[in-house]
Amino acid sequence: MKIPTCPIVTVAFEHECKLNAAKRGMPTLRLVFTPHPVWGKSPEQLWAYVNGPDPATKKPLMQEVIGALTNPLTAADKKTGTITPSVGPEKFDADTPKNLQEFYRNNGYTDYLPIIIPTEEAVDEMLKGTSHHPDEVVGKLAAAGGTNALEAWKFTVRHVAINAVMAGARPEYMPVLLAIASSGYISLISSTNDLAYGALINGPIRQKLNMNSGIGALGPFAQANAAIGRAWTLISKNLGNAGIPGETYMGDMGNTLNYINLILVENEEASPWEPFHVQHGFKKEENVVSMFGGLGISAGQVGKGSGVGGTPHFDKQYVDLFYTFTGFFGALLLCEPICAQSLKEQGYDTKEKLIDYFYKNTTQTAKEYRDRNWSYLFEYGQALKGVEPFATWYKLPDDTVIPKFPHPDRISIVVIGGSTDPVSQVANFSHGKSVSIDKWM
Amino acid sequence: MKINRRRLLQALGMSPALLAGTNVAARENAANKASSGAEQKLVGLNPKGMPPATTLLPMAPRRPRFSSLEGKTIYMVDIGFNNGDVFLHEMQRWFKQHMPSVTTIYRRKAGDYPQDDPKLWAEIKAANAAVIMGVGH
Repeated sequence: MKIPTCPIVTVAFEHECKLNAAKRGMPTLRLVFTPHPVWGKSPEQLWAYVNGPDPATKKPLMQEVIGALTNPLTAADKKTGTITPSVGPEKFDADTPKNLQEFYRNNGYTDYLPIIIPTEEAVDEMLKGTSHHPDEVVGKLAAAGGTNALEAWKFTVRHVAINAVMAGARPEYMPVLLAIASSGYISLISSTNDLAYGALINGPIRQKLNMNSGIGALGPFAQANAAIGRAWTLISKNLGNAGIPGETYMGDMGNTLNYINLILVENEEASPWEPFHVQHGFKKEENVVSMFGGLGISAGQVGKGSGVGGTPHFDKQYVDLFYTFTGFFGALLLCEPICAQSLKEQGYDTKEKLIDYFYKNTTQTAKEYRDRNWSYLFEYGQALKGVEPFATWYKLPDDTVIPKFPHPDRISIVVIGGSTDPVSQVANFSHGKSVSIDKWM
Repeated sequence: MKINRRRLLQALGMSPALLAGTNVAARENAANKASSGAEQKLVGLNPKGMPPATTLLPMAPRRPRFSSLEGKTIYMVDIGFNNGDVFLHEMQRWFKQHMPSVTTIYRRKAGDYPQDDPKLWAEIKAANAAVIMGVGH
């Protein structure tokens, strides 16, 4: 910008900021730090921050600010050149399986559970699961996702295969893993908000891989569901450099879904509606993975629809469950097949009709919307740019009733489960993109 | 009806391998011995991807060049994290008390926190001003 600038960050992010500045080619960036947090502090407390020391340097904070804006450039500030980072050799020294387990774990390559050692033979076997060349570049992943806040790493088919071996995957899972990796969705995002990610599998490959969409579909009851989910975490760590606490991962308490993520397999056979991938323009016989992200999954087993006696009203039950959700991340209904059938008999003969009901009936006041941290952080800035509906929502009187979700496309429905009990689950997740698995066969 | 012996044994809470006879047990023992062989060594492959090279960006000569802030204008740019506006207002208060010749202007950056705001940067440049940008969280 060529404008004298002083970035100020709270000290909880000191290490991450300095490292990121260096990776962006500005190792001498004049960062100033305040105590942590700024959030929730009164004006008097923040006045004390301003008049106190920079906790990183122990010097007066305002002295540091003035210095950042006025000190002449040093030789280090003017340095040019290129730094090529190294991630070590392609192969590690031969060692016993026990020592290698420790080596991979101590170097941060694992999820802290035992892995399959990725020997050349095992990786070659894994590569038989795709026709793509091992050296083909699959894509890029960055620990901060699409925000461009952290650098993106490239990776090849072979890199994906190595991580697939470590996770306990089988060669036939490779097309699914390559599709997930190529989507650019990282499952361990750097955000402080304990985010989680999901991948929904549709198409005939579900049966071919013996994936579980029925009883216990979200539990540890199928190798493909488990290994694909685990591999995505290792891919995120190793191919996107994600998941290094304090450096590339800042989630306050983390999220248990991060171990194997939310791997969803739609029970297309038990669903009275179109499969999710067909809703999004694919043919039924195509194999597709759809990417989701958000704050997490919550219990949906309570509510009006599951009451004793009378006609169930699952539609109203789900609106109840969406109340605490942030509209920013939308809603993903994991609709149990008995519930889906009941909703169809109630008149919702398409998922779109049910989504329309959710959109119109999940509401909030303009004040409730504007008081939410997520609205202020992500959507007020959009409102300032004139992006709708946020620009209008920020001008409405406090008591105006508006939709919770800014657009119906923030709401998704997937039929899943084994028809043993009409209990659905809901996630504060929204759909990002859907990509072809067949392309990676 | 064909009975699946493995499933039947599992349903009874028994391991099919244990009840399949001594041959299986012997095979497992042999396999365990082989895998725990003291000298067995493996070569593992590196699972890391390819980080980008870093191009060092020299700090550009500043226009204007500030040797002091006296009489200058500073934009206090709020990137949108909660309470950042209150913090920046307290900083404005500090300048008013301690460096009254400095003019401070508070602005909320348009777009999400990681998004660029070229219109604002152009405005600041045209005003020959400096920037204090913050603050999360």
